[in-house]
Amino acid sequence: MSEESKDYSIDEMMAVLMAREVRNDDVMIVGVATPMVWSAFTLAKLTNAPNAIYHYIMGNTFVFEPCQVSLLYLEMNTTRAYRFQNSGECTLESLPSDNLTTIEFFRPAQIDQYGNTNNICIGDWYKPKIRLPGCAGIADFSMFYSRGTFLYTPRHDTRRFVPKVDFISGVGFQNGNNPLCGGAGPQSVITNLAYLDFEERSKTMRLASLHPDIDIETIIKSTGFDLIIPNKIKNTKPPTKKEIKLLREKIDPLNIRKLEVLTGKEREELLSIIIEKELAMTNKIPLLLNS
Amino acid sequence: MPQTKLMDLEEAISTYIDDGDLIGIGGLSFWRKPIATCREIIRQKKKELSICTFVGGLDVDMLIAAGCVSEIRSSFVGMEVFGMAPNYRKAVQEASIKIIEETEASIALGLKASYLKVPFMPLKGIIGTDFPKIRKDIKEFEDPLGSGIKLMALPKIDLDVAILHVPYADEYGNGNVAGAVWLDDDMAKTAKKTIITCEKIVELNDMINLPGKAQLPMQTTKAVVKVPFGAHPTSCYDKYTFDALHIQKYMKIDFKDYKKKYINLDSHTQYLEEVGGSQMISNINLQTKNTSN
Repeated sequence: MSEESKDYSIDEMMAVLMAREVRNDDVMIVGVATPMVWSAFTLAKLTNAPNAIYHYIMGNTFVFEPCQVSLLYLEMNTTRAYRFQNSGECTLESLPSDNLTTIEFFRPAQIDQYGNTNNICIGDWYKPKIRLPGCAGIADFSMFYSRGTFLYTPRHDTRRFVPKVDFISGVGFQNGNNPLCGGAGPQSVITNLAYLDFEERSKTMRLASLHPDIDIETIIKSTGFDLIIPNKIKNTKPPTKKEIKLLREKIDPLNIRKLEVLTGKEREELLSIIIEKELAMTNKIPLLLNS
Repeated sequence: MPQTKLMDLEEAISTYIDDGDLIGIGGLSFWRKPIATCREIIRQKKKELSICTFVGGLDVDMLIAAGCVSEIRSSFVGMEVFGMAPNYRKAVQEASIKIIEETEASIALGLKASYLKVPFMPLKGIIGTDFPKIRKDIKEFEDPLGSGIKLMALPKIDLDVAILHVPYADEYGNGNVAGAVWLDDDMAKTAKKTIITCEKIVELNDMINLPGKAQLPMQTTKAVVKVPFGAHPTSCYDKYTFDALHIQKYMKIDFKDYKKKYINLDSHTQYLEEVGGSQMISNINLQTKNTSN
C-alpha cells in the first residue's frame, strides 16, 4: 500500500474516489466533456481495474488501452484506437455482453434524497428560470444498469441537493421505492465534501464518509434535505501518493480534469492554457499509457 | 451512370431547404457538424425551421441566434467545456422557441421508426422520468407478446432534409465517414432530401476502397457540395480537430458582430481567411508528418 498523500486538490480527491468504484469487469462509459471522469477511469485502469474497457460515447467505440487525457484530440483517440464500434442505436444499451457490467458517472444539476436527478431545467419546464443543456441519455439508461448508477458533483450545496427536483430526468429510487427495470438504482454520490451512499431499507441518501477537514455542520448546511447521519462518522480515505503521482504525471499532466471543478475567470484561464499547450504538441495522437 | 449531384452550396440550400422544414443535422457536439451549411442557411434567412440533432452545440446556437429556428429537438445542447450555449439558453428562457424534449434514444429510435415506416419504436427506458408529462406523444405500454415487460413507445421522426458533413463523398451522393457515424446514416436513410458537404470528392471506384465504404447511401442525396473545412470550427476526422480558439471567440463576442465578421461574407475562401488562414489550418490539422493516417 502506498502512503497517504497530504498534498492533493479536490478534483484529485474526487477522481480517486471515482476510480475506486471501478471493477475489473466493468465497461466504463466516458461521456462528452467529462474530463474528471475520464481521468478517474484511466486511474482505475492503471491501478485496481486493468481489464476494464472504455466505452467512449464520443464515437461509440470500445477501447482497451489507456491513454493520456486530452481536450483537442479525444476524437483521435476514440477513433484510432477502437476495435469495435457500435451503431447509433447501440448507445441505448451500452452493454456488449452479459458478462460485463457498466459503470457510468452522471453529474446532476439537482439531486434529491432518493437519488432522482435533473439535468433539464431549473423551475417549471414550461417557463424555466434556467435552461440546462439537457440529459442526453441519462433518461434512457439510469434505471437499468445492473451495477446501478453513480453520481458526482463538485459543488455540494443546497442548490444541487434539493428536497424535490424540478424535473426527473434520471430515475433514482423515486419515492423510496425499489429500482425500476431490473437496475440496482443509485449507488453513491461523490462530492467535494463527502462520499454519500443510500441506506438499504429506506433508499435514502446517507453520509458514508466525510472528507478530511470537513465538519459535519458544513454537510448538514450544504444539503437541502435530511441526510441520514450515522452515529459513528467515518473519514474518507485520502488519495495515496501513488494515485496522485499517476494523475499528475501520467494521466492528466495538463490538468484538464480541473475544468470540471473551477468556475468563472479561473476556469477560462486554465482552458486557454490547456489549448495553448495542446496546440504546441507536435504529436497529436494522445500518449498511450502502460498499465 | 447515375446523375451527378454536384452543385454549389448556395444553390443546394435555396433549392432544397424551405421555410418551416424539419432539418436533421448530423455530427455530435463539436464533432463533424455541417457549419458551412448552417452559415448559408443564415445568409439565406431561412425561417421557422425545426431542428433535430443528436447532440447540438454551435450549430443549434448559431441558427437560433440568427432567427432561423422555431423548434428544437435534441438530447443536449451545450458548448462542452466552453460552457452553456448562450443563445439557446436565452431563447428557451424567453420562450421564443419551442422545445421538444428528447433523449438519445428518442431521437435514435424515432429516426429508425421513420425509415422502417412504423409509427413508433419500443424502448426499455425513460420509464419513471418526467418525460411523459411533457411529451404527450410518448406512451408506456406492456409487451403485447406477453412477457409482462413495461416499455415506452417513441414516435417516428420524419425529416424533411438532412444536412451532413463528411470527409469523402462521390458526385452521385454516396458519403464516407472516417470516424464515428453517429446518426448521420439514419438521417440519410430517412430524410426526404439529403444535402452532403464534403472535404474531398472521390471517384465512385475509390469510394469502394475507402474503409467503411459509403455509410451514407446515394438514394436520398439531392446535392453534393465540396466545402473544404466545411465543418469548421467543429472537427472533421481524419482531417482536422475542432478549432478551440475560434469557439472561445464565439463565446465572447455578440452574435450580431460574429455574423458580420464571419457569416455575411462573399465566399468560403474569405471565411477561411477571416478565421485565421494557414495558421488556423496548421493548428487544427490532424494530418501532420508525425501521423501516419
